[in-house]
Amino acid sequence: MTDSYRNPFSGINAVTLDDQAILDYWCSPFAYRLFSEIKEADIYEDPSNIVFMGGRSTGKTMFLRYWSFPVQLKLAAENNSKSGKIIDYFKERKGIGFYIRIDGPVLRSFNGYGIDLEKWNSIFTHYFELIVGRNCIEAIKMFYELGELKREEIENYFIPEVRTIINAPEIVSIDELLKEFDYRIKEVDLFRGNVPFFKVDFIPYRGGFASQSLSFGIPKIIKKTFSDFRQSINFILLIDEYENYSEPQQRVMNTLLRFSSNEIKFRIGMRLKGFRTFNMISEDDFIKEGREYRKVVFEEVLIKDKNYHDFLVEVSKKRLESVTIFKEKGEIDITKFLSKAENIEEEALELISKFPGKHFNHFKKSLRESDIEAIKYRENPLLELLNILWVLRGVPANEVKSAMEDYLQGNTNGEKANKYRMDYIDKYKLSLLFLLCSIYHKNKKYYSFNTFAFLSSGIVGNFIELCRRSFQYAEFENKDLLIKEGTISKEQQNKAALDFSEAELQQINRIESYGGYIHKFINNIGNIFRDFHKDERIRYPETNQFSADIDNLSDPKLKDAMRAAIKWSVIQKKPKIQQTAAGKHLKDIYTINRIYCPSFQISYRTRGGYSVKLTESDIVKLMTEENVSSKDYLKQMSAESTLFDSI
Amino acid sequence: MKKVLYKMELVSSEEIKRDSFDFFLLAGGSDFRAYQIMRLMKTENVSINKILLFDFLERVHDIDKNDPYYEYQEVGFKNIFPIQCSIKATNSCLQNLIPLESELLAAQKVALDISCFTKPFFFYLIKLFKERFKVKELTIFYTEPQSYLFPRGIFSSYRSSIGPITILEIPGFSGFETRGGKRVLVILLGFDGDLSKEIYEDISPSETLVVNGFPSYTPKFKDISLIANEKLTSDKDVEIAFSRANNPFEAFNLLEYIKKRNGNAFINIAPLGTKPMALGACLFALYHPDVRVVYPLPETYEKVTTNRCWNSWRYLIPLNVT
Repeated sequence: MTDSYRNPFSGINAVTLDDQAILDYWCSPFAYRLFSEIKEADIYEDPSNIVFMGGRSTGKTMFLRYWSFPVQLKLAAENNSKSGKIIDYFKERKGIGFYIRIDGPVLRSFNGYGIDLEKWNSIFTHYFELIVGRNCIEAIKMFYELGELKREEIENYFIPEVRTIINAPEIVSIDELLKEFDYRIKEVDLFRGNVPFFKVDFIPYRGGFASQSLSFGIPKIIKKTFSDFRQSINFILLIDEYENYSEPQQRVMNTLLRFSSNEIKFRIGMRLKGFRTFNMISEDDFIKEGREYRKVVFEEVLIKDKNYHDFLVEVSKKRLESVTIFKEKGEIDITKFLSKAENIEEEALELISKFPGKHFNHFKKSLRESDIEAIKYRENPLLELLNILWVLRGVPANEVKSAMEDYLQGNTNGEKANKYRMDYIDKYKLSLLFLLCSIYHKNKKYYSFNTFAFLSSGIVGNFIELCRRSFQYAEFENKDLLIKEGTISKEQQNKAALDFSEAELQQINRIESYGGYIHKFINNIGNIFRDFHKDERIRYPETNQFSADIDNLSDPKLKDAMRAAIKWSVIQKKPKIQQTAAGKHLKDIYTINRIYCPSFQISYRTRGGYSVKLTESDIVKLMTEENVSSKDYLKQMSAESTLFDSI
Repeated sequence: MKKVLYKMELVSSEEIKRDSFDFFLLAGGSDFRAYQIMRLMKTENVSINKILLFDFLERVHDIDKNDPYYEYQEVGFKNIFPIQCSIKATNSCLQNLIPLESELLAAQKVALDISCFTKPFFFYLIKLFKERFKVKELTIFYTEPQSYLFPRGIFSSYRSSIGPITILEIPGFSGFETRGGKRVLVILLGFDGDLSKEIYEDISPSETLVVNGFPSYTPKFKDISLIANEKLTSDKDVEIAFSRANNPFEAFNLLEYIKKRNGNAFINIAPLGTKPMALGACLFALYHPDVRVVYPLPETYEKVTTNRCWNSWRYLIPLNVT
């Protein structure tokens, strides 16, 4: 029975999935209305280029690959069109997509060895043109083999046109064409292999290709040659991992973007801030959002609505279904494995079970003995803590007790009882637990579907990794229970969350530029947030965001470092500018990626109340110094009006 | 008649005293093992025409005169020629080697101590000597460390590198990708789990195979590497194979087997494990130019990563391969 088990969240990387697996795991973000900026038809039909931005593991590759020709071909075969012709499926969809991923090590190899930048640009352009051209020809070959294109059209028109532009007059078949492309690509690879040892020039044996010659040239030939393509099929180049292209390479690509026609369009996947440059090859020209492309953000820090949660349930369902044992038993609901939401009261009771009165002892210097007795409520230490806070703020103990009792009896018509309910349910419940944890010197547990969804910060891959690690722990500690009961304990989930959080924190050091500075910054700001969570007056509950004017930082290195932090989703900009506190000016607000919250023992929610204000000198300090004290930032908070002042 | 398949032996005074070399190449380093072989050669009066000491900018920029890095000056050889170079630009040594080109082309016996070279650097040097200086055989020395440094416990704190990393092809080892074919990634496992994850993501292979050094220099090392690379090794689709940590030829044979099994796949090798295993990968990639070797280049390397010395090995590496 257990032989049919494997971790459903293990080892699925969209780049490596085969075409069928892309379909099997595909969950349409459009069905969950995750993007307001585009609709499904735009992928093939929109005359603008579109840039999809998002952090690592936000699903960009899955998204781009889904629209690629081989995957759509499978869908076409499954959904027979009325005519029975596969090509009609593409005509109905109005486009055909070519997925292009050149991996980082290859892109980085077009550089150095005493060869000037302009020459490297030409070699890269030649290489890119060959890669795109080969993709197009391969698609024609597949259509031909499926009997969708006529042999005469291929032999009498298509091949002669292509062989003219590639200067290969002897070629008579598509297979020969593909071989020729492979040979020429290998020519570049050979050059890359030799140039570190010898002073050599790159001289392609039949000449080099200029920008657009094949990437636009071959689609044009296809449209000219085959009537089915002529009117209604757009050519969509799906370029992945654009952030890996160097600045000179992006200039080559940006130029292509500028000169793309209505029928040849780009859909580009990249990290946030993945443009290294907006310049084109020509020095005085550049591309601009809204003119050459429009932007869709895959990662939204405030994705907290039901649609995102439903999407995660669906993504998980597909993975759970892929494991025989779970499919057979119908255990395909991730919310059952993890539990839907955390039980804060239960956690608080577990927390104090060994030393039940410690929180009263903690405040005993500030409280009268008689008050303590009046506000005790053994069944819920969080209410006891709230009572303590009310008394500390000057509310008489008997009134606190009365408000609590009214709340407990569901009688919240009175002003105090209603206020008590709002304080507990809407404002402070989670903050009270963090404070209780601090008093008891214990850690908050991070578990449940909702918590994992929040921790994922809008990055689907983070959610998947939290699940993978949870299943890993559950399998290791009690595999039978995992399979029989279909549940994972909160302790196992918490271990998974802590492990992943620590690993991600550690990983910041490895960010290709400014990793060390960003790591220091996150450590410092995370600890400052932690001190806010330990504030015994809970003046600013769940503070975990900061305001900063990154775009106007005067030090370019500092600006680049903060941008790198955004690019790698270490910090996330909230979509709209907000007030830093009630009554304050509107500013850009940033949160740290919530996956770091378990490491710092801070809230994974974004309340949006108070933001720590960071000036340029603050950022310098946080990026360069170890263990920056939170005193100044807590003082900053004290100097401002507090939410409690209004009570 | 006994047929010698490969030659690998423990370095001993008895053996080494019979050696003589036209060139002996080694890397400057602060690890104790950096000059172990050179010291032994001096003690045993090994005849060496020229010693080329690869003097890395990154290793000398913040050390003082008393750093163990400079102990090579005390060994007693007078014919040491420092070759200025940079870890980050492997071919940076070429301009300083070109003036010696005619001597190098005439050299019959060349020895290379890989103990303190970074892996990309010695890969580059071996191919350079094969392709440009037409050396037919290299004698490679390697000194095992007694232990590695684990600043915060043995299971996750080993770092040979510091700061951001960039995944690169080792210069000269780009390979050729068969378009539309499958990609296989073979990771020779090291202790630094961050590196294997980054490589896996950048290469995005359809199949991954990790090779653990077993038997390792000491028993615990094989477990440390598995635990440090937990994310990768726990994946059921990732196959784990073993190869003796100090035997390049065993690694070579294993890679041969993997290549045969995968037909026309584009094989990517990430030599993160021991240097002898990496040496096997280097030899394999020289035999199979279609194979790509990738490596994570960090911002900086730790100055010292090992403790004292253990065994020293001597390998004969044939380079007249086609």
